[in-house]
Amino acid sequence: MADSKNKSGIWKSLKEYYQDPVVLKNKTNEFMDGVTDDFDPDELSKVSRRKFLALMTASAAFTATACTDYHDKGEVIAYNDRPEGVIPGKPNYYASTCDGCAVGCGVLVKTREGRPIKLDGNPDHPVNKGKLCTKGQAGILELYDPDRLTDPLRDRRKVSWNDVDAYMVEAFAKYASEGKEIAFVTGENNSPAFGDVIAEFAKKYPTVKVYNHAAFSEKNRRSAWKKVYGSGKYPAIKWADADVIVSLDADLLGNEGDMLEFTREFAKRRDAVNGADFNRFYVVEGGMTLTGANADYRIRVNPQYHFELALLVLNQVAMNLGVTLPSNLAYRKSVTDFELAHNIKSDKVARLITDLLKNRGKSIFYVGRDKSEDLHMVANYLNEILGNSALYNFKCAHTDYSTEDISVLVSNINRGAVGAVLHVDVNPVYNYSGNTGYEEALAKVPTKVSFTLNRNETSEKCNFVLPVHHYLEAWGDIHSRENIYTLRQPVINPIFNTRQSEAAILQWADNSTGYNQDKFHKFLQNSFKKNVYAKAGTTLNFKKYWFNALHDGIVMLPANETVASINVEALGSVKTPKTNEGFTLQVRESYFVGDGKFANNGWLQETPHPVSKVTWDNYAAIAPATAAALGVENNDLIDVSADGNSISLPVMIQPGTAENTILTEAGYGRTIVGEVGLDVGFDVYKFGSEKLYSNVDVKKGSGTYDLVSTQEHHSLDDESVKDFHRIRGIIQDGTVEEYKKDPKFLKHHEHDIFSITDSVEYKGVKWAMAIDLNKCTSCSACVTSCNVENNIPVVGKDQVSRGREMSWMRIDRYYSGSPEEPVVSNQPMLCQHCDNAPCENVCPVNATNHSPDGLNQMAYNRCVGTRYCANNCPYKVRRFNFYNFRDHFADAYYQNDLTYLASNPEVTVRSRGVMEKCTFCIQKIMDAREVAIRENRDLKGDDVVTACQQACPSEAIVFGDSNDPESTVSKYREHDLGYHVLDLLNVRPNVTYIAKLRNTHSEDA
Amino acid sequence: MKKSVLDYALKVRLPLTLFVTIMAFVLTFYVSRTERDGIGYAPDQPIAFSHKLHAGDMEIDCQYCHVGVEKGRHALVPSVNTCMNCHTVARKDKPEIIKLTKYYEEGQPVPWKRIHRVPEYAYFNHSVHVNKGIECESCHGDIAKMEKVEQVKGWTMTACLDCHRDPHAEMPDLVEVNNGPENCFACHR
Repeated sequence: MADSKNKSGIWKSLKEYYQDPVVLKNKTNEFMDGVTDDFDPDELSKVSRRKFLALMTASAAFTATACTDYHDKGEVIAYNDRPEGVIPGKPNYYASTCDGCAVGCGVLVKTREGRPIKLDGNPDHPVNKGKLCTKGQAGILELYDPDRLTDPLRDRRKVSWNDVDAYMVEAFAKYASEGKEIAFVTGENNSPAFGDVIAEFAKKYPTVKVYNHAAFSEKNRRSAWKKVYGSGKYPAIKWADADVIVSLDADLLGNEGDMLEFTREFAKRRDAVNGADFNRFYVVEGGMTLTGANADYRIRVNPQYHFELALLVLNQVAMNLGVTLPSNLAYRKSVTDFELAHNIKSDKVARLITDLLKNRGKSIFYVGRDKSEDLHMVANYLNEILGNSALYNFKCAHTDYSTEDISVLVSNINRGAVGAVLHVDVNPVYNYSGNTGYEEALAKVPTKVSFTLNRNETSEKCNFVLPVHHYLEAWGDIHSRENIYTLRQPVINPIFNTRQSEAAILQWADNSTGYNQDKFHKFLQNSFKKNVYAKAGTTLNFKKYWFNALHDGIVMLPANETVASINVEALGSVKTPKTNEGFTLQVRESYFVGDGKFANNGWLQETPHPVSKVTWDNYAAIAPATAAALGVENNDLIDVSADGNSISLPVMIQPGTAENTILTEAGYGRTIVGEVGLDVGFDVYKFGSEKLYSNVDVKKGSGTYDLVSTQEHHSLDDESVKDFHRIRGIIQDGTVEEYKKDPKFLKHHEHDIFSITDSVEYKGVKWAMAIDLNKCTSCSACVTSCNVENNIPVVGKDQVSRGREMSWMRIDRYYSGSPEEPVVSNQPMLCQHCDNAPCENVCPVNATNHSPDGLNQMAYNRCVGTRYCANNCPYKVRRFNFYNFRDHFADAYYQNDLTYLASNPEVTVRSRGVMEKCTFCIQKIMDAREVAIRENRDLKGDDVVTACQQACPSEAIVFGDSNDPESTVSKYREHDLGYHVLDLLNVRPNVTYIAKLRNTHSEDA
Repeated sequence: MKKSVLDYALKVRLPLTLFVTIMAFVLTFYVSRTERDGIGYAPDQPIAFSHKLHAGDMEIDCQYCHVGVEKGRHALVPSVNTCMNCHTVARKDKPEIIKLTKYYEEGQPVPWKRIHRVPEYAYFNHSVHVNKGIECESCHGDIAKMEKVEQVKGWTMTACLDCHRDPHAEMPDLVEVNNGPENCFACHR
């Protein structure tokens, strides 16, 4: 073997060294033998390596080419000719006049790029002073309602306006020559220009006549004033000067009369922080209303006996003051007898009488608008005896534009004297039904016209349905008070093929060829020249004066203070109504959908009832004892028969309702309306046009109906939850007497709260809010304002029943006391922006965290929807988008090109799967910051006004910088009555509540 | 041990595929980064407007046309009537100006292609930046030298935050400027 040694001297192994032939052979091969054994190439994919690599390269190249193509970012469409004063991205404000009700509040319309997005009060208007109620705020949705009529209809077929004009001119000429009446039915219309339009129309067609129909109006007050004082122009009342206010079934803080004016003036005397001298508020009522909930003394009396109570007070007062009453006003029962008969506790009626006598000239006995003319006359007399007429403000008296009542029209039609009936924004077939015979009479009229925004019950019975402008598209004027004249101007071009009713009527009156949009504009100017400019005694030329008036939206007219004197003889006609033993049924106007006019407005339908918190329905509110006697529970149907009409209504057991009394609200149960309002609730107009029915037959019906409320009905009898809100300090309150004795009475049982972590220091501005519960009446204007400002969707009844309502702000209502005489506490609840926010700790993706200016912020794009934050929030103010509610509610009713125009472009429209909550109106904070930077100064707390604060009629909400010791909000935070809800949790909320004080007598404390 | 197809798939094919895929992704990610951020995007505009000529050579102030920049959120692309302030007289026989005049006379807006776009969930405000003395160039680049405008900087949240966190590094000339806000609500609401 020696010679076979490796010659090279380099070897890898002994075998190689010894020149193993196998090794030597292998050396020439690339691979060992058998390396590919057990491997069948046929089993492999047929794609060769080359092919595979080629494919990969190709796809990489393809991807790379695709990436070099930039995303198209769309186009920037600028104006062709930008109107002066319009800067895209900046809102413009225009003054106009609300047409939600007869009050005619001044509004400021916020428009963005030519579309109105928010309505707020006009600060120059003396009645609403920059505030607007729920209905007014939600009016923006009416403009963008997808159910608006787009074209004129004749017998349900689309026709052109020219055809309508031709028909009308011919028909009216015929009726005028035949001497047949051409009847206009309007609501409470106090527009001087409309009057002029009718006068113009009358020149050509002299048989024209105007009737007046409003389901709920001040007509009884007006006629009572006419009888007693000789003029229907009843005065405004200086509420802030009244030390004692007695409301006899008047829902002054709710939806009656000049609610915004009353709420503001009332709250002035409830301003505990600024040391106001509290007034005392008595409310006499049968059912529980928002006003009753805010009373110092609520006297629960079946509404049948309200007249008796007024007589009792009148007699007692007259006896004390030595006034001899007309014999028909005598009342013999004593106060004690009345109190006993009506189960009135703690001598409240006697206190009321004493208070009235003590505060002569500084008290008001105010009767609800639905009460009879006779009762109004008695109240007028009582106020006169007490010298309370000193509080009347005749300068600002309500104008009297009342025309003939609609009941006269019915008899005229039945006489065959009417050729045409034109309904101007009224719906009498719906809200003047029951035994009125209106619908049957209307059928006999040959020409029936309905001017309307949406289809309604009346338009369905008319052969011509003429779509009108929304008031934000229209010109107009309102003369609501003797010294107040307001204008209305269009803030958007007409969206559809509509005309405003005045313009259409003018077109028929002058029968000119070719209609143009400017027609009524010109007419209004002339009317303004005649009615306002000529009397103004101004040195400005007309054009300037007109533009000034348009800019301000309001003109203050000279008015004389003519004090009317009472005619006591007129009271001789007053008769005491009969009372019956059976059930009493009272019908009130709905707080939010009005007389049914707003039934198609989702925001209003979904705003919870201020007392019961029920949404999307009306019901029969009855006392717990009455429910027990009838053997019914919540949601059971009862059959209510009044005046021969029977309706099934669901029961809602309402603490505080008088026994044998049913309170229900009208405005629901619309049958011909858009998608939203259709078959929501029950139509109680079917009982008739009365507001109070006695001797009503009530039986337990069959079946149940689900009422949906946003708040659990607290069981007052259940010991485990009774008064929980007080025990946990959620509601803290006291009496004025207590507070005077010891201003710190709430602070005595405060605990030192101790934290194991260091608190974060906030430099600069730190945002905080304070809510004065003395002033808050729970009117819900803040809720709607927030909804509009922050693009909050409507979710529908079904989702509300699952607790998925989306409003960022809610008003909690708590009861304490007995079910018969509950004490109601209200509390607006919104995100408290806690310093130690429990929601922030649990968010797994840090979507909610704290900003350096003390805001609990929410980044929607980060949110993955775990809902841990909502679970951990002690205030339950977080809202989760279980759906994209815009496409979920009513078959995507609000998801269309039109309704989107109502959205606020400064706030994200949230989609499904994200959490949201109050942001303290961050968009408004940022706007204020922008201004501060432009003006090169520091941002101040008072620069920001949140949406809820802006809307609050009683100015109960204060917002600002709590780091600034001079700010209003700091004053509230430091106040003796200030407290934080659930502050024992040491979450350090930034919303301070001012405890409510009740102005009861000291011995009641 | 008997070798199987699975063996091959796991040991050879899978790593290879993964490798190629990841490499392709990483490569594409980095190569396309600028494009995705829009950097270099310079679309053809309906009218070949030259910023170089107007803002550069003729030194017209940016705010003559972009009127909103100090007043609000949007800088604003000028409305056609702004162009016509000059071009009813100036160069009215040039083809591009004839195009412009046609838009004006027909009452049509010019469909300018958008170059700089902030996502709709971010509420950028021009005025708060400009009024603090931040130059247009800091974000838009030297527009006055561009014949055709293109995006030169990234338009990402990182880009915003870089400057908010350390404005002096980005804009050394601007002495009196504080750090910008970094909280969510500063841009998202």
